[in-house]
Amino acid sequence: MSALSGIRVLELAENVAGEYCGKLLADFGAQVVKLEKPGCGSPTRRLGPFAPAGEDPERSGLFAYLNTNKHSVELDVESEAGQAALAQLLGKVDAVIDDHNVGWLASVGLDPAKLEALYPALVLCSITPFGGELPEDRKHAEDLTVFHSSGWGYHTPTSPDTSLPPLNAAGRFLPSYEAAMDAALCVVAALYERDEKQLGRFIDISTQQVMTSRCDYVVAQMVAGDMPISTERNAYDLAGPAGIFPCREGYAYIWMSTPGHWAGLREMLDDTAWMDEFPENWLERGCTPERVALCREHVARWLATQDKHEVAAAAQKLGLVVVAVNNGRDLQASEQYQYRGYFAEVDHPVQGKALYPTVPYQLSETPARIERPAPLLGEHSDTVSDILEEGAA
Amino acid sequence: MSSQQRGGPLQGVRVLELTKVWAGPAVGKLFAYLGAEVIRIESEGSLDVTRTFGVDDINNAPGWQSVNPQKLSAQVNMKSEEGIELILDLAARSDILVENMRPGAIGRLGLGYERVREANPGIVFVSMGMWGAEGPLSYQTGYAPCFAALGGVSALVGHEPGAPAGMNLRYADSTFGAAAAYAAMVALFHKRRTGVGQFVDVSAVECMTSMIGDSIMDYALNGVVQDCDGNRHPELVPHGVYPVRGDEWVSIAVRGEEQWAELARSMGQPELLEDPRFSTFALRKENESALDELLVAWTSELSAMELVSILQRRGIAAAKSLSSIDLVADPHLWMRGFYRDVVDHEGRAKTTLGPSWEMTRGADLHDAAPALGQHNDYVFGEVLGLSEEERKRLAEAGITR
Repeated sequence: MSALSGIRVLELAENVAGEYCGKLLADFGAQVVKLEKPGCGSPTRRLGPFAPAGEDPERSGLFAYLNTNKHSVELDVESEAGQAALAQLLGKVDAVIDDHNVGWLASVGLDPAKLEALYPALVLCSITPFGGELPEDRKHAEDLTVFHSSGWGYHTPTSPDTSLPPLNAAGRFLPSYEAAMDAALCVVAALYERDEKQLGRFIDISTQQVMTSRCDYVVAQMVAGDMPISTERNAYDLAGPAGIFPCREGYAYIWMSTPGHWAGLREMLDDTAWMDEFPENWLERGCTPERVALCREHVARWLATQDKHEVAAAAQKLGLVVVAVNNGRDLQASEQYQYRGYFAEVDHPVQGKALYPTVPYQLSETPARIERPAPLLGEHSDTVSDILEEGAA
Repeated sequence: MSSQQRGGPLQGVRVLELTKVWAGPAVGKLFAYLGAEVIRIESEGSLDVTRTFGVDDINNAPGWQSVNPQKLSAQVNMKSEEGIELILDLAARSDILVENMRPGAIGRLGLGYERVREANPGIVFVSMGMWGAEGPLSYQTGYAPCFAALGGVSALVGHEPGAPAGMNLRYADSTFGAAAAYAAMVALFHKRRTGVGQFVDVSAVECMTSMIGDSIMDYALNGVVQDCDGNRHPELVPHGVYPVRGDEWVSIAVRGEEQWAELARSMGQPELLEDPRFSTFALRKENESALDELLVAWTSELSAMELVSILQRRGIAAAKSLSSIDLVADPHLWMRGFYRDVVDHEGRAKTTLGPSWEMTRGADLHDAAPALGQHNDYVFGEVLGLSEEERKRLAEAGITR
């Protein structure tokens, strides 16, 4: 039994944000029933990466990843019959996750404004790019445009070449994953209170706000008037030589901000004559652009001859912070990830076996677990009648 | 039971923070914003660097203020055994303890999980480390950009394949905090149902990998190591950030045939729809550079507002890339109450960030971050029930300093 056993969640979501939220709950034992459009299923079934084996709609690795432990029920909630079934289901679940556009919930009979009257004990969570009140010029959004509406985009990467455009986040869906975490947190918090008071609530997650919050240390200082705001693309940055440098193979990231780091660097390098021109505390008290450039030049020359993993291990011992810039292969090979079991083998009936990334937290009593692969489309369509009959008895 | 009645789903929950800098305090902030009473334990001898670094007044330190609204501050000298006993007494009256000290430090203080559990078997003990609490690399430490580099995030951000530049260096701490908060919340839920507490071990590097899970799945299924590729996207084209007048930028993402047709019409170039280079999705991907060049020529002549409004009217996702001025001035974030005023320890209004959510019966957010020891009396008097005399003795002996 895991922590959320006995909780029943209806997932109306059809995008990454809502499906990841559902996964966060399902991996802790909640029964997450995913309603999918008959015939084609969730749109995420048509997004890559695709497994070499299998055929549509069962070969999406994205869907397989996002929907572990869930149940799939084919039901068209946009049809009249579907809405009648949905209305019955809503009385028999604890929480609902949605990530459709603003207004969609009302169109299927679940208007958040009427939630208290219709389903007073239901926790309803909606994840949308800008929250429930939507300005005209923000009706259409994708993860890229939300990322750039949050302040992150304009300031990515650090120390940019300003002749090049600002960049997207890592991967396709980072803002969606981030929003899903806040959504899952709020849903379980709401269920916590509901356990005692039998009261539900509407939760309106704005992905723009989630992403802006992820830089709260900086942005809160800016809105308080304690940190300068500007049109500079390095407005979030810190001065210093930190950055990513090429190694013999791949890349390493080096961080330097204290005299201790500087002393560590001196021990690592063969040629240290150039360092004698620098004050020992320059990283804290004399970080001029000229010194930063000269330091970066020497660090680049040195790291280009190093193995990223070996140099990182050696630096850690000397109090200098160097780490490998890892990729997917490095992560699967990581002894630390293997020790913690971060990757778990999942046997999907169509796609076969693969090592899935799991969750970043280990709970000693109620660990998250992948008990079942993502469902085939409609695999649990019978569950609906079970749920409906349960209450009728 | 907390004396703080601010509403919200977690009213009555008490969280003890033994945290530093940003990621640990982010956990307490999320709990405070959900209505919990969050107590930061502070020691005059080892104050948080965000209170002190480059700051004149530790009680008005901007960095400190940004991630600690609505929390309480109580001072305990953690170098004294009596101070450690006080913290254990507080832990006995708390639901959650969060720590993000250097690896092993909490145990050396005498506040490791085993000892805290003796004081409170139901405690949810949240330990946050770069690599998590155990394993061959758990001794290593680093800063946020290290988490992003190690976790696979940095490799996916860069203008050209094979030249990673990484996310902005501020990325990772708050994400780490959110993941830890969710795990703690689940453990708290379990505690309410069963009375059983547990050890929650959160890895910052794994948090980063979880933000690119689908990219990692490509390696899992196909052995493909994904690389950075500017602003390109496998399913959307065009997809990028384009220059507009006045050195500004607009992000645009076009999905499907219908939106492509709307884009060509928006550009006043419907002939592009007949252009053999762009007639299918696959061809547009193949000729994406040529398409981007045409788009840049068009967007460069427009203002950000004109471009966004033209595209939005036609159903295409477009948004100005917000500078820090734009972000702080964003009318939508003000209208949502995301930017809002709290009241500091001297009664002055201070603007800060509210939660990322709105919810029915949400918690009030009223107080700015606390001054050092602002809540000593409440915490030692009301929570621990110590007499005034005893509190005076502890203060004079330097235990609550």
